[in-house]
Amino acid sequence: MAIIRAGLTSALSRLCVSDVTSNNTSRLISTGISPLFFKATTCLYAEPLKKKKRIDPAIIKQREERKKKRLEKQIRRLERHARQLKPIDELEVPFEFIDEKKERIREAPALTPETLEERALLYKEWARYKRKQNMNNMQMIDRLVFAQQKALDELRQESEELYQAAIQINPTQLPFTVRGPVRTPPIKGYDSPDGEYLDVSKKW
Amino acid sequence: MNLVQMRIRSCLYSTSVKAVRKQKWDLMSAVCLERKPVISRELNDIERRFSRILAETELETSHKSDHEVRFEQDMLQAELLKSKSVDLDIDMALQQTAQDFEDAAVEEYNSFPFESRLTEADRTHDLQSLERKLDRHLLLLVQEKQWDQKVWIMPQGLRMDGETMLQTAERVLKEECGADLMVSFYGNAPCGVYKYKYPKRFVGHGENASVGAKIFFFKAQYIAGHLEHNKLKRKEFKWLGREELMASLPEEYCRNVSQFLIDEE
Repeated sequence: MAIIRAGLTSALSRLCVSDVTSNNTSRLISTGISPLFFKATTCLYAEPLKKKKRIDPAIIKQREERKKKRLEKQIRRLERHARQLKPIDELEVPFEFIDEKKERIREAPALTPETLEERALLYKEWARYKRKQNMNNMQMIDRLVFAQQKALDELRQESEELYQAAIQINPTQLPFTVRGPVRTPPIKGYDSPDGEYLDVSKKW
Repeated sequence: MNLVQMRIRSCLYSTSVKAVRKQKWDLMSAVCLERKPVISRELNDIERRFSRILAETELETSHKSDHEVRFEQDMLQAELLKSKSVDLDIDMALQQTAQDFEDAAVEEYNSFPFESRLTEADRTHDLQSLERKLDRHLLLLVQEKQWDQKVWIMPQGLRMDGETMLQTAERVLKEECGADLMVSFYGNAPCGVYKYKYPKRFVGHGENASVGAKIFFFKAQYIAGHLEHNKLKRKEFKWLGREELMASLPEEYCRNVSQFLIDEE
């Protein structure tokens, strides 16, 4: 019963001039002290609704038709452009080369059977050479992996902690980049001349 | 009383205790510092022959380039001029021909001073120079006193408490070669190990004396800088190619080291 009453008082309290829940009910009513007990609803600034204009249904239909048409046109335009992919110049044979193909054919003397034979032999020799090289590489990699595994095993025997530290990935090495060897060594103190930078890439 | 009991127990079980007891090994890190090849290797016989054939085949299957077309047109023009069938057009004569262009390009190429593939250090055989054998791997060796003899080995040092093996390797390199040397270590894991027992007469007799050392090798790549060998205690060092390396390392050490080095055929 007490619970219900408490619920009711809290719900009705905002309608009340003074605090119902408080026990020391005062008979004195004053609006001059804070918090202000009187509350007014906020102004809405509304005006009576306007009368709806009646439009001819034919005009409405026409308008909708126009809107639909415009949308369709946009869709069509989008579809047309979607089909056109950005060309990759490097992969396309220029038209002038296709036109001049006949004039550009190289008249090379026919290869003699001896040359062909020699080439076939060299291809075979090359295959053997590369095979041997690859086998050697495989063996070398096996050897390297084995050496590392042995080192890790030895380390684990000494201390599990050090082993765990050793098998962590080193994030400073990733991504791994290498500057390969070049044909001639760099010239010391060489001041490379600045070329002109011309951006010829097309806008799409 | 307790102590006496312990003694007795250790005497009784001495054999089994010895079998189980872990031998103490010194942990060391060594740095396998490599200078990677700067220039490419010369082609060997079969590579040269094969690349020639590839170039020939490519030429045979190709079409004429713009330059060749222009060249042929120039030749035609010249012949026409000779036969006087057309009037001499000054503008045409003044134009740069394909041949002129080719000559100019060749001249520009030839006048560019490329750096020589053989360096001064190659000629003087300067083992301390990094400029030697540009097409090969060079490996850093330092001279160290081991027991009663001096040996050429990779820079190495004992692990201190609280260090991982890689940290030891980094510290050792800094101590031996100075802070100027810029290197990059390949990873946290050692690439190889060399385990050896100390000679009998040098092993201590205490319970905690270690029987030998395990040297863990860490590969690193030389990036920049040079060894400050004048300021540091390290006076003797050399950068060696593979064959020289095998010749100057101690035999047993060399066998272990060659396990994790990349071959150069």
